[in-house]
Amino acid sequence: MIDNLLLGFQTALTPENVLWCFIGVLAGTVIGLLPGLGSTTGVAILIPLTLTLEPVTALIMLAGIYYGAQYGGTITSVLISTPGEAASVVTTLDGYKMARNGRAGAALAISAIGSFVAAIISLALLMALAPPLADLALEFGPVENLAIMILGLVIVVSFAGGAFSRGMMMAALGLLISTVGVATGFSSARFTFGNVDLLSGIPFVEVMIGLFAVGEVLHQIRVGAAAPIRTRFRDLMITRSELKRSAAPILRGTGIGFLLGILPGAGSTLASFMAYGIEKRVSKRRGEFGKGAIEGVAAPESANNAAANANFVPTLALGIPGGGTTAVLLGAFTIYGLQPGPLLFETQPTLIWGLLVSFFIGNVLLLVLNLPLAPVFGQMLRIPYGYLYPIILLTSFVGAYAVSNNMFSVLIVLVFGLVGWVMKEIDLPMAPLVLGLVLGPLLEKSLVQTSAIGQGSFLVLLQHPISVGILLVALALAVGPTVLRKVTASRRVQQAAAKEKDSVSR
Amino acid sequence: MITTRSAGLAASIVLALIGIAAVLGGVGYGMFVDGGEVGPGFLPVFAGALVALFAAIDVAGRLRRRRPHDAIHEVVAPEVDEELRADLAAAESSDLDIFGRTQRQRTRMLAIVVGILVATLLLVQVLGFIPAFGVMLLVIAVFVERRKWLPSLAVTLVTCAVVYLLFVTFLRVPLPEGVFGAL
Repeated sequence: MIDNLLLGFQTALTPENVLWCFIGVLAGTVIGLLPGLGSTTGVAILIPLTLTLEPVTALIMLAGIYYGAQYGGTITSVLISTPGEAASVVTTLDGYKMARNGRAGAALAISAIGSFVAAIISLALLMALAPPLADLALEFGPVENLAIMILGLVIVVSFAGGAFSRGMMMAALGLLISTVGVATGFSSARFTFGNVDLLSGIPFVEVMIGLFAVGEVLHQIRVGAAAPIRTRFRDLMITRSELKRSAAPILRGTGIGFLLGILPGAGSTLASFMAYGIEKRVSKRRGEFGKGAIEGVAAPESANNAAANANFVPTLALGIPGGGTTAVLLGAFTIYGLQPGPLLFETQPTLIWGLLVSFFIGNVLLLVLNLPLAPVFGQMLRIPYGYLYPIILLTSFVGAYAVSNNMFSVLIVLVFGLVGWVMKEIDLPMAPLVLGLVLGPLLEKSLVQTSAIGQGSFLVLLQHPISVGILLVALALAVGPTVLRKVTASRRVQQAAAKEKDSVSR
Repeated sequence: MITTRSAGLAASIVLALIGIAAVLGGVGYGMFVDGGEVGPGFLPVFAGALVALFAAIDVAGRLRRRRPHDAIHEVVAPEVDEELRADLAAAESSDLDIFGRTQRQRTRMLAIVVGILVATLLLVQVLGFIPAFGVMLLVIAVFVERRKWLPSLAVTLVTCAVVYLLFVTFLRVPLPEGVFGAL
């Protein structure tokens, strides 16, 4: 463990890596801050810029964008009541009210402090949990891996929000899109319709840029904009009593965030909602919630940051992304020729530990940046969206071209931009689609291997105890919520009927 | 106007058809190879069938449910109380944006922007990549967003210069040049 940490510090503390970490968290803050640009979009757009870097440096920067955006997203929520990130939606409730009451600075400060505390605690937990989990996963053969991937898809679908059937539909669509082109291990081209460009498959990064960047821009054009509240430096001073009030919510938020974050697919949005809901229930100042309670900012902001870090547990140890952004990051791994999964801990210790240690450095940088500079970042909100979104479009298309130097990529971005916009408008979840797309090739490989082990039969899945266990969990997650709802509903009906009988007999 | 509900219904029907087409195509590629192992058609059939199945379930669900579908209701988990949901709904409900544009105007802007994007892609062959997208930026800022000419031109020039430096000079991406050469 100590050796690994030392190795990590050696890697992460080189001037080059610190510089890119700084660039990453700074870009992340700005990206999280700008409405219509989230961490997933940011990572997708900026992957092309990292192609010339060393893999570890590139990933340090991309991960920096991810957790930097968690800090930045808060600024928008507080100042213009428009979340820059889905995970900051609930912060708008009390954060914006605090800003209205002239406490914008305090709201920003407590969320920076809460995020930092949450990050450090959850990182320590991440470093303790991921390696043993990876060790365990290393024992897995193709059969267990297949079961794990099925579990990952089911979890992402059940936590993506919205109807289960729609999530499954999108996950399956992702798998289907991943089959376009010539698959590894097979010689025949599938669904290429005679198009040469499609032979190598539908390119991953371009799909991400289209779905998240272009789709989001098109969606935002229809949504419209809100006016920012100005903050001043002296408002930043947070009072001692505010700090004291926030301590327990920060710790509770961290705990909830981490627990939900390690579930693949649950992600930080759910964590922030849960933390807010629980805080509202346990707080002594329940009445102040929704009117500018600092606890209502501290808890969800800590939770979303803890969840963002915890997301890396399944991403790194199992190769199953925790949410949309980690799914894109996982795609980045494959671009650098790295196979995500438990083997990385053995074959690429420098990369893994360098990356993990860089999170510490990045969060320190973010605290230093955000405490004094939040109002300065706030000024960026005054850039009119009318300039911002054509710039985002320009960068998206140039970036896509840069990935493979091909106009075909640009076309893919446009097509998936429209797809992404339609999905946003009619509320189809994106995360399952992305996960299906990333897992497709891996799933196909383990399908082939599993069927080879079972001599053409998948019953072998039910002969390995570990895979049976994993599949049972998946099944419980898939049908559990529905069954539970039915049971409670029928119980309610019975109770109501009993009451009625009661009143009638009286 | 097309409602979210009917658009969702249409999307699910289209997806169901895509799923069925994928199953038929996949069967053609061969689901299993000689040894009984999974062949190139297996995953397309499997995924296509799942898409078709769940799209059909979704269509059935949408037809059965009469009340308009409530986005916030679905994003916020049932664990979170009603009040929070109501707060969020109230925060989202206003129709006009800060420029006083209505939903209908913004929808028209969206259609225009998509049209401009398609035109830009066609212009890339003629003008070159960066000039074509520069024109796009300028046109959107001035004509769609009604920004002033001079600042829009300045933003366009600075953005193009930064993109050129970053992608052409630094990353050496061979961006397509138009009939007028590099820039």
